[in-house]
Amino acid sequence: MSFFDSLRQKAANVKFLDKLADNFTPVMNRDEKFRLEYKLPEEEHVLDDTNADVSILNPYKRAKRAENSERSELAYVFSGRLYLTPHYLVFRDSFDSTSCNFTLNISTIRKVERAPIMSYAYSLAITLHCGTRMVIQFIGLRNRTDQFCHKFKELLRENIPNTKLLAPFLETCYSEYLIARNVLRESDVNPPPGGLGQRYRYPGDASKEKPKLKLWLDYFQDQGKNLTIVKNHMFYKLIRVGVPNRLRGELWEVCSGSLYSRFANPGEYKRLLEANEGKDSRAIEEIEKDLNRSLPEYAAYQEKEGIQRLRNVLTAYSWKNPDVGYCQAMNILVAALLIFMTEEQAFWCLVSICDNYIPGYYSKTMYGTLLDQRVFESFVEQKMPLMWEHITSHDIQLSVVSLPWFLSLFFTSMPLPYAFRIMDILLVNGPKTFFQVALAVLKINGEDLLEVDDDGMFIAILKNYFQTLDHSAHPDSADIRYRQITKFQELLVVAFKEFSIITDSMVDQQRSKYRKDILHNIESFAKRTQLRNLPQVRNLTPDNLSNIYDLFYLCIESHKISMGTGSSNMDFEAFVQFLSKFCDWCKPSESDERPNFRKQKRAFLKRLFTKWGSSGSQELTLNDVVFGLDGLLSKDLMSSINYFFSLFDEQGKDEINGESILQISEALLFLTEAWKSGRYVDKLTQKSIEDDIADSIVMNNSAKGGTLEDIELPAGVTIDEEKYKQEQAERYLQAASNFLQRSFEYARPSEEKEVDLIDLSDDETESKQAKEKKWESLKANVALNPNQTSVMDLATFRMIILADETYEMFFAHTLRNSIHVDEKIGSRDSRGGALRNMFDGFLADGKRVASQVRRRVDSVATKNSSSSGSAAEATDIQDEVDDFTSGHTFEHDDLLKHDLISLEDNEGNEPNPESQRKKLESFSFSDPSETREHSLIEFEA
Amino acid sequence: MNSALTSIKLVLLGEAAVGKSSIVLRFVSNDFAENKEPTIGAAFLTQRVNMGDHTIKFEIWDTAGQERFASLAPMYYRNAQAALVVYDVTKPQSFIKARHWVKELREQASKDIIIALVGNKLDMVETGAERKVALEEAENLASQEGLLFFETSAKTGSNVNEVFLAIGQKIPLKSAQQQQQGQGSSGLRINDDSRVDLRAAQDGPAPSSCNC
Repeated sequence: MSFFDSLRQKAANVKFLDKLADNFTPVMNRDEKFRLEYKLPEEEHVLDDTNADVSILNPYKRAKRAENSERSELAYVFSGRLYLTPHYLVFRDSFDSTSCNFTLNISTIRKVERAPIMSYAYSLAITLHCGTRMVIQFIGLRNRTDQFCHKFKELLRENIPNTKLLAPFLETCYSEYLIARNVLRESDVNPPPGGLGQRYRYPGDASKEKPKLKLWLDYFQDQGKNLTIVKNHMFYKLIRVGVPNRLRGELWEVCSGSLYSRFANPGEYKRLLEANEGKDSRAIEEIEKDLNRSLPEYAAYQEKEGIQRLRNVLTAYSWKNPDVGYCQAMNILVAALLIFMTEEQAFWCLVSICDNYIPGYYSKTMYGTLLDQRVFESFVEQKMPLMWEHITSHDIQLSVVSLPWFLSLFFTSMPLPYAFRIMDILLVNGPKTFFQVALAVLKINGEDLLEVDDDGMFIAILKNYFQTLDHSAHPDSADIRYRQITKFQELLVVAFKEFSIITDSMVDQQRSKYRKDILHNIESFAKRTQLRNLPQVRNLTPDNLSNIYDLFYLCIESHKISMGTGSSNMDFEAFVQFLSKFCDWCKPSESDERPNFRKQKRAFLKRLFTKWGSSGSQELTLNDVVFGLDGLLSKDLMSSINYFFSLFDEQGKDEINGESILQISEALLFLTEAWKSGRYVDKLTQKSIEDDIADSIVMNNSAKGGTLEDIELPAGVTIDEEKYKQEQAERYLQAASNFLQRSFEYARPSEEKEVDLIDLSDDETESKQAKEKKWESLKANVALNPNQTSVMDLATFRMIILADETYEMFFAHTLRNSIHVDEKIGSRDSRGGALRNMFDGFLADGKRVASQVRRRVDSVATKNSSSSGSAAEATDIQDEVDDFTSGHTFEHDDLLKHDLISLEDNEGNEPNPESQRKKLESFSFSDPSETREHSLIEFEA
Repeated sequence: MNSALTSIKLVLLGEAAVGKSSIVLRFVSNDFAENKEPTIGAAFLTQRVNMGDHTIKFEIWDTAGQERFASLAPMYYRNAQAALVVYDVTKPQSFIKARHWVKELREQASKDIIIALVGNKLDMVETGAERKVALEEAENLASQEGLLFFETSAKTGSNVNEVFLAIGQKIPLKSAQQQQQGQGSSGLRINDDSRVDLRAAQDGPAPSSCNC
């Protein structure tokens, strides 16, 4: 087998859900990765990048350094990569990004000049609005450097308007206040608006607040602040030891990158709230339920102001991201953020956390949460094999224990002050932090955990552990320094030293490894739930419902749904696509090229769509579709006719007017087109083919003079396909014209007025084209007559349908069997499968014709006792006949173009009833428009 | 008192803010908090109840009620022997959800799970709020599906203990049988149910120090 064949075969074997999940393993492009790494807003992308050496000089250098006046101009030089995005100049040290990296908003650049040349290299000296100077020495070819500088110059010019935004923005930053107050000695400045902590105090011990603030003040002087901050080792160290409460809001903004989105979108938060004021939604309802229950122990959340802020931020987010809306746990996260941040700051920080740190955690299916639980389990398995052994052997469900930690970012597990510390580190170090801390929690409590054997006890032990984080980790140690180490400090050491082996790329890798499984599970869970909650139906089996479910979601981008986004309803276009997947009369065909047919198709489908819709909206739910199909698939002739009639009986009076009669006939024309054009065969044609074949066999046999008892079935049969197609087409046309004629004949006119109808005789010799013409003129005649105000009731409609064998058959069998709710997705999609079906179809058909012959022979040879076996067979066949008209894959057409297909029937290989059904569905004729000359199909029995 | 100890894994299910956690809090600590934090994922609590000749230890899994947490529920009702499906008598929507939960449990949970249907916040009806779920409707559902049924108020404590007692009374016979089986097979079996049996076997003979 060639490489490509094997590939193709593999592809065909992939199940529907697998395919789905595969498509949505997100592959990030370079820009997305870049944005994620530097936490930059959506609109940023790399415009250019180059290698460069950067050194930074600061205006506020503390006095002791400034004393060495000459030397102070010498600073560390960092070699790394410099990137340009539309609004940012980004740098990171190539060897260790934590030694120097910055993300400068270009509008903060006040001056750029050629640096005095100290070597052959090309250098720029950049002065920022805050006074920081940095020298960038480009490394690389001169023309590349020129190109970069040229781009840089352009961006500087483009960013000039943004400099106006700078001053008001900086007023919201606490670091600016600190500098103004302590360095510039401006005594009249007020601290910028901040979180609830300003008024209601910050939770936890505040004794270290002042020395920590001092350290940060020094850092800001050395390395810049907010939009111009340069992060080095010291920055990360200061974060690790815990951020002072007053600066926490701003530093969380810097670390999460929400500072950049807030700067880029001034006023958006307010606009979101204003634009949606007074609107109602599911999310808002859910938010209201939880407002009084978010960190209720914190004083501000027992008062109006705190609750209002919480409401605003959660509501704004639900409008910003309606796919997520609101998820319990967000209230706790936001309540925590609001202690340190203003509403607007908390809003953007929430956006950044949800997008960059915990993607999918709060989505409607919470797939991110489930995924990270799986990832966590895999880390436990890898890094703590003993614990894993214990967990699996005792059937303990780890995620039951750990899920709340992740979901609420430890806020509901640990005392608040510790959860804030974890948050500090999470925002600067990324999602790996969760896993490191969670692993450390298990590790530290390992001995205790190994002694218990159920998840409830696990929880109890860990609950106790979290509540005693402030206790000494080594209470019995002789060394006082050991005794002073708290359990929390121990936790950090274990998490970030011992489990530093867990990296972000490992997390990414594990996430993509398990994503497919998780999405698959969510999908099958959602399917089970939805199917279970569907209302009772009469004509659909559970298997049918399952297939309908798959098809429904196939047509409305179900991938988005398992990620928790997107609508789960179906619009009209998706509806058409949906039906075309399993209804023979809706499948795309060459008839679609005729405008008239397209019009009929659209009109009927639109009618169906409107009828099925329950909510009056322009969308269908799964329930609507199930109900609709259930009606359409009525099992008996009468209810099938009634249902069809009700589609047109808009007032529900069991009566339709002349206009609707025309529409019914148009709809019937559309529905029967597939048979009229010979793409499918109905039961009547099928029967006449079999009769003819059987007749000819019997005749041949008797001509040979053989006795009827030992009649031999011929090795093959040939049929004249074109002839039957022609007959069928004429039958359908005749039915259509009969219908219209009788409709107006039997319709009860509002006024007694004879309608002048042209004669439509059943003249056998009349050509198809002539009939078609006649029908058109008849229709025009009726439609044009302004006095035509006849009405038709249901009983009349039924009578007219029953008066015509073809239409009767259509409602009794053909329509129902043309709707393949019993076929699974994929069974008709894969090329290989279709081919096999077709072969099987011929085999089964040959057999059936053969038994038809036998039956005939039996009936002739009345006294022959061999009929018993055949009779049993015949009843089976009768059932199969019902299924015959259905099923047709386009691949057949290509193959059927060959005039002769000869097939061997393997007698020893009796197909089971299930496959037999499938086979029969696949039998069909090729399209007449493609093969004008008579094609002969040979069967071997 | 020297009595056998049976553990029952019990799970609470129901729409958000119908009072699942409050029922548990009332049962476990005989307490009520007006503004309880929503349950994130699930909470785990235990309570022992003296049933005369034996003691039952309820291992209670209190789940989050928000719709999107529903996909996590199987994690919690797995192996549960009893379930409380809670709705709010003033919220018809919560009763619809309760029906769904009963259906799901019947289909997905252990075959012989004992389900109690609980209409909570009865105090609100008594203090003037309109009742939106008729007693009859709930009783019908309960009798159709073979559920225990109670209307409770976690706030006043009315009927809360009765729910758990009724569950406790329905369970011991079966558990006792299983217990013997567990002992018969020398307690080395490891399967879904063995956890409970084994401990019951171990704990049984030991003098129980705590009785409620």
